[in-house]
Amino acid sequence: MPSEISVPIEREHDIVTARQAGRELAAALGFSSTDQTLLATAISEIARNIVTYAGKGTIAVGRVDRDGRAGVVVIARDDGPGITDIELAMRDGYSTGKSLGVGLPGTRRLVDEFELVSAPGAGTTVTLKKWLR
Amino acid sequence: MCGLVRAAKLTLSREASGSGAFSKGDVILVDSQHTPSLLLMREMGLNEQDVARRQYIVGLEATDLERIAGVRSLITEHVEEYASVFFDYLAALEEGRAVTGNRPVAERARQLKREHLVAMVGEQYGTGYVAQRLELALLYNKAGLELRVFLAAFHHLLKAIGGALLDHFETDPRRAFDTFMSLKKVAFFDIGVTVDAMVFERERVIRQQQAAIRELSTPVLQIRDRLLLLPIIGIIDTHRARLITEGLLRAIRANRAKVAVMDVTGVATIDSRVANHLIQTVTAAKLMGASVIVTGLSAEVAQSLVALGIDLTKLNTVGDLQGGMEEAEALVGYRVTSTDKRRGPAASDDASS
Amino acid sequence: MSVPILKQGDVLIASIQAALSDRDLVELRDEIAGRIGRLRARGVIIDLTALDVLDSFATRTIRDIACTARLRGARSVVVGIQPDVAFAMVQLGLSLDGVATALDLEEGLALLGTRQGSRAVGN
Repeated sequence: MPSEISVPIEREHDIVTARQAGRELAAALGFSSTDQTLLATAISEIARNIVTYAGKGTIAVGRVDRDGRAGVVVIARDDGPGITDIELAMRDGYSTGKSLGVGLPGTRRLVDEFELVSAPGAGTTVTLKKWLR
Repeated sequence: MCGLVRAAKLTLSREASGSGAFSKGDVILVDSQHTPSLLLMREMGLNEQDVARRQYIVGLEATDLERIAGVRSLITEHVEEYASVFFDYLAALEEGRAVTGNRPVAERARQLKREHLVAMVGEQYGTGYVAQRLELALLYNKAGLELRVFLAAFHHLLKAIGGALLDHFETDPRRAFDTFMSLKKVAFFDIGVTVDAMVFERERVIRQQQAAIRELSTPVLQIRDRLLLLPIIGIIDTHRARLITEGLLRAIRANRAKVAVMDVTGVATIDSRVANHLIQTVTAAKLMGASVIVTGLSAEVAQSLVALGIDLTKLNTVGDLQGGMEEAEALVGYRVTSTDKRRGPAASDDASS
Repeated sequence: MSVPILKQGDVLIASIQAALSDRDLVELRDEIAGRIGRLRARGVIIDLTALDVLDSFATRTIRDIACTARLRGARSVVVGIQPDVAFAMVQLGLSLDGVATALDLEEGLALLGTRQGSRAVGN
């Protein structure tokens, strides 16, 4: 069973690598096919955000356990410009440009836990968790 | 337990590498002798955080611990006596025989009770203590001991301890009272855990049945070539909505369905939440090239949904099932003709849609 | 050209095999636009059967391609979206409004083959 995997995100191609890693880990843990796709899609969204807005970053995918349940944790980090108004960015339907459409609020719906830490000039860290049902 | 060991190792390596990918309370590390109670703890969500919260709720404070420490030997030196108080009370009740009448159960319970009494004045009321409580709770549950009987016996035990404290602090009844109250905080902490555990176990069967019912109640029927029917009955919550959608989408692929009729006549409550679930289902089906007709939405419900801002056109609703079926058949490309036998073969209606 | 484009009658069929990059998709769009003109294609089928994820970027691009085809006078149909992928898309809030969809290649061709409006899903 794969343990933590860290994928550098620099080129578009890395988006696929990251989401594949997430899918494989989820599959190994016994997640349903539907949940695997939800996770892979979420990773795809945040990975693309890194490529589009920060240019460079990393996505780490690993296993996590709580109260007897297994889950996947995804930590996406970048040293990009950061999000100036997080509340605004998290509002459904908000878009800063042609690329960021459903991004953050939509992504939140795909996972069980979603945490975002960001500040202008200080980069962004998005942490996602998805638990086995 | 395999799972426990693996998880434990993972936590240790996480802390060692300092990557900080986990939050506190993610994994519980307790000795493996109390496995069933540990499992129960996890299922109930009784982690360090929850235990700390419970202590806070009963108001357990440093002064309480001090008072308890002051009378520890008073309890530990008479453990056998106090255990007997509890079990004699049980034995005197017909309902108590569930425990006392069964030799191995009685012995095990007694042993655990002794340990409980010692631990009660041990000032350690964390996850290890709770695991102990759960072990006893599981035993009572298995033996079929009723809650009201357990509570009565426990109260009797507390009464005995109270009396002993009064005797001990002969000249200072106020102190006896305060000490007793501190002990009672622990006692109520114990009761909270034990009762929650016993109820949780009892409800386990119900939960299993509910899950089974949920799975069974999302049928997708192929009633014509390329035409599916989903009769939905009961409550649609988020989880069920997902089951319905997944079932429908897979059936669309398996049956190469072009149209699905989703009948919600039997759905108890259709509020904006449910309506949005339905819209999502319809949208997903559309992505797979299938149209969905929703039938069984009463005029009143439709009106109130529209008033709430729901765009019902997305749902392609038809009043009743029959009407929906007819429209569905038309979409698939069926032409329905009826032959009226009473009138003879010469007069058959051609009711094409 | 990383995406194979076949021709069946006057319909172009583009089968997307794996997640495409920005550049690949732009290439595809331009290639389709060009072929519609050169080969006088009246329909384009975009086959997504092989894709296991359709994120917001991919969805936007597909809409883009369908739009381009329409501007060139051809109808497009998106086919092959898998159950899991469709589910994830609606959860994410994505839609292919305005783009016709069908179950698979066979259905897509049937849709383009007939001119009956009632058969069309989504257009």
